[in-house]
Amino acid sequence: MKSLFAVLLLCLGLAVHAVEAVPQPGTEPEIAGMTVDKAVATFHPDIFALDAQKRPVHRITDSFFTPASDIARAVSYNTWFNVLVFLPFLILPQVLLIYIIFKFRKRADGRKPATFTGNHTLEIVWTAIPCLALAVVSVPVWSLLWKMELPPPDQDKALVVAVNGKKYAWDYRYFRDDIEVGQDVVGNQEPLVLEKGRVTILNITSNDVNHAWYVPSFGVKKDAIIGRYTNAWFTPDTVGVFKGNCFELCGEGHGVMFISAVVVEPEQFALWTDLQQRRASVLKVWGAVRDGAGLDETVASYLAKDGSAAARFALRYWVALNLESQCRKPPQGKDAVTMRAAVAPARAALDRALTVH
Amino acid sequence: MSSADYEIKRYTGVMDWLTTVDHKKIGMMYIWLVLIMAIFGGALAGAIRVQLAMPGAVWEAVQAAHLAGKDAPFSLFSENRDLYNQMVTMHASVMIFFVLIPGFVGFANYIVPLMIGARDMAFPKMNAFGFWLLIPSAILMMASFFVQGGAASSGWTAYPPLSLVGAGSNPGQDMWILGVHLAGMSSILAAINFIVTIANMRAPGMTWSKMPLFAWATFFTSIIQLLATPVLAAAVTMVLLDRNFGTTFTVASRGGDPVLYQHIFWTYSHPAVYIMILPGFGAISHVIAAFSHKKVFGYIGMVWAVGAITVLGFTVWAHHMFSVGMPTALQAWFMYASLAIAVPTGIKVFSWLATMWGGTIRFTVPMMFACGFISMFVFGGLGGLVLAMVPADIQLHDTYFVVGHFHLAMVGGSVMLLMAMCYFWWPKMSGRMLNERTGRFVFWFMLVGIVLAFMPMHLSGALGLPRRVPVFFADFKIINHISTLGYALTFVASLVFVGQLLLSYRKPKVVVDDPWQINDVQQSFEWATSCPPPVYNFATVPPIPVADQAGRH
Repeated sequence: MKSLFAVLLLCLGLAVHAVEAVPQPGTEPEIAGMTVDKAVATFHPDIFALDAQKRPVHRITDSFFTPASDIARAVSYNTWFNVLVFLPFLILPQVLLIYIIFKFRKRADGRKPATFTGNHTLEIVWTAIPCLALAVVSVPVWSLLWKMELPPPDQDKALVVAVNGKKYAWDYRYFRDDIEVGQDVVGNQEPLVLEKGRVTILNITSNDVNHAWYVPSFGVKKDAIIGRYTNAWFTPDTVGVFKGNCFELCGEGHGVMFISAVVVEPEQFALWTDLQQRRASVLKVWGAVRDGAGLDETVASYLAKDGSAAARFALRYWVALNLESQCRKPPQGKDAVTMRAAVAPARAALDRALTVH
Repeated sequence: MSSADYEIKRYTGVMDWLTTVDHKKIGMMYIWLVLIMAIFGGALAGAIRVQLAMPGAVWEAVQAAHLAGKDAPFSLFSENRDLYNQMVTMHASVMIFFVLIPGFVGFANYIVPLMIGARDMAFPKMNAFGFWLLIPSAILMMASFFVQGGAASSGWTAYPPLSLVGAGSNPGQDMWILGVHLAGMSSILAAINFIVTIANMRAPGMTWSKMPLFAWATFFTSIIQLLATPVLAAAVTMVLLDRNFGTTFTVASRGGDPVLYQHIFWTYSHPAVYIMILPGFGAISHVIAAFSHKKVFGYIGMVWAVGAITVLGFTVWAHHMFSVGMPTALQAWFMYASLAIAVPTGIKVFSWLATMWGGTIRFTVPMMFACGFISMFVFGGLGGLVLAMVPADIQLHDTYFVVGHFHLAMVGGSVMLLMAMCYFWWPKMSGRMLNERTGRFVFWFMLVGIVLAFMPMHLSGALGLPRRVPVFFADFKIINHISTLGYALTFVASLVFVGQLLLSYRKPKVVVDDPWQINDVQQSFEWATSCPPPVYNFATVPPIPVADQAGRH
């Protein structure tokens, strides 16, 4: 009972931590069930965020054994099946070896060694049985291979993303929505945002050396090679934040060429698409916030073009996101805590300007 | 001119070694070069393991320090991550080109002519030339650490466009390529020599079907070396020309194709993994038969299995490239062909076990290494089967699973084999027995070290840890610490082993021809001459074996 209570407290603590950046719930305007801060935390999560105990906030280890897409699930099952078939061939020789070591050790009893040098039946058996086992694993992998490599069903509705690897970051272009994401205002890698349950097709290439795009939970890995497009598809089926890396040696930054991917519900994905399409329009206001001058005029002219709730939300979202990005990459000699305190007045000033106009 | 007027100049001491064309002396020089390079390559691996054991290698710690406005925690390569890539590249290059490949060539050089009753290799001067080519090759590679930009840092695979970086200003990659050329040439010369020697210089009465398995394995391996090594030269020459002479074989922006390089490279480098293990397959049959005191089981099957691996080994190269985006039918071919190699390999493993079955097994050090090899290699081989399946390989490609797999096969396999061969034939080669107690210490340290170092890598790889990275997530810390501990045990064992070989020269000489008392189950000639053999190997033609290896007259 006591330990249960402790676990509950721990969960509560973690939950509180996850939303601690959200101020005064209830008073904020929401779109698709999200406040600005929740949207920032959802659409641009800090995958390396640490809690007070310096443990990672997000999922510890992503692998294809923690699948989050149809492909990864199929591969995971298939691999476990194969391992199960192979397992006897791992155990049998080891057991035989140990048995032989103890049984046929030379002892003082004067036993003479056997003199046989072959046994055709036995040799046929240990040729045929492995062949049989290979035949067993060959069948399911055939259909899975073609499933992975052929184009997906429902291509017309698919989310098509062009992935471009470069030293040492990734750019994503969403063809049908005319969106480009890559690096935020301070050069942090932006996540690939995907819609739960929607087929996603990746066209992967590189503009310098070879890279490889792999998010283990999605179960697809393809090299990014200059002058070529490689294709992969999957359907993400779990909401969450997923980590990945570059998986082809690409130079000194190879080890830190991280990938993050976020899978969200369809209505949130619609919000994200809208926010991305307004990205260019908020640049002037962001410039004013950054320089600390001309805020009122730029906000007024921004709202004159589009004063809708969505436009206001987008403005607050992008300013909050850009300020948060700065805090995640503090300049030399500054730390994240002082940065967060320093950027708070800027957001307050924008909120004031928005209420005035 | 009569023969009395013609005097051959004979040197002594160092000059004798420098000018020798005796296959036994050349074999010994191969083995000592390999030992030196193995310690060097092991030290490079040590640099990698030390980096991965440091607090500054944990990404969360680096990130936390950054957010707190502090300097990142210390790690060996935090200031120069390119140097880490150089370590990775050179560790692999040294171990492949200067340890595993010449290691087996060295033993074959010494033992195969003795086994088949020949007085030397077919081309003794070419043999010496092949060995001495390795020295400039090694110097070129080692010296590249001290040139501008350091050594090659694009991995031992040297994939362009990464291997084209620094062209014109950083000669490290060019030196690496020229080093590979020389090592490859050495390999080809050795291969030609073995094929000619084994085909033509067997003692009368030693027909193909009576030939010892080590000679068979060396014969097949030499065929691989002869056919595949020029392909490697072609691949790295493309990079050399692209870097220095403006060609565009691999430059996509001017009509070249980086993937072309990968295909050509693996056309060599997959068969190369068999160059690194097949001779040992043959040799271990002798060790197992000797100490089980039985003739080898299923001789014909063993020969056919090695032959099948040789042929199939040429047809599976692109299983290293499942993520480059090949036609699906091709992927299916490479997958099924890779799986098929398991069958002849399985035949060998079961035949070794059957050779031991019913024997009176003496657990000498070479026999312990042979048993350790079977156990480790079965594990490494099964990991290879998992990797052969395309969907799983796409997940595991370039993760630590691959690193664990090939290190189990290459260290748990090839290095264990080389150790077994060394303990087995050292009395023949040096004329001194090696101490059994020290040998048992080396074996157990090495076995435990290999298990600790490489088994956990399968786990971290399956959990998504990329290879060739100097930083990792905190979750992998414990696994990496275990591997580093395993590395330390293996390295200590290796040092003790080298020391043991050196000290053995102070021991009394072996006075009998057959110190293990095994010649009745061997049917090869090396135990029918003194330890070490005289320069001419055999004073008279060795006795013809009465039965072939399958026991038929």
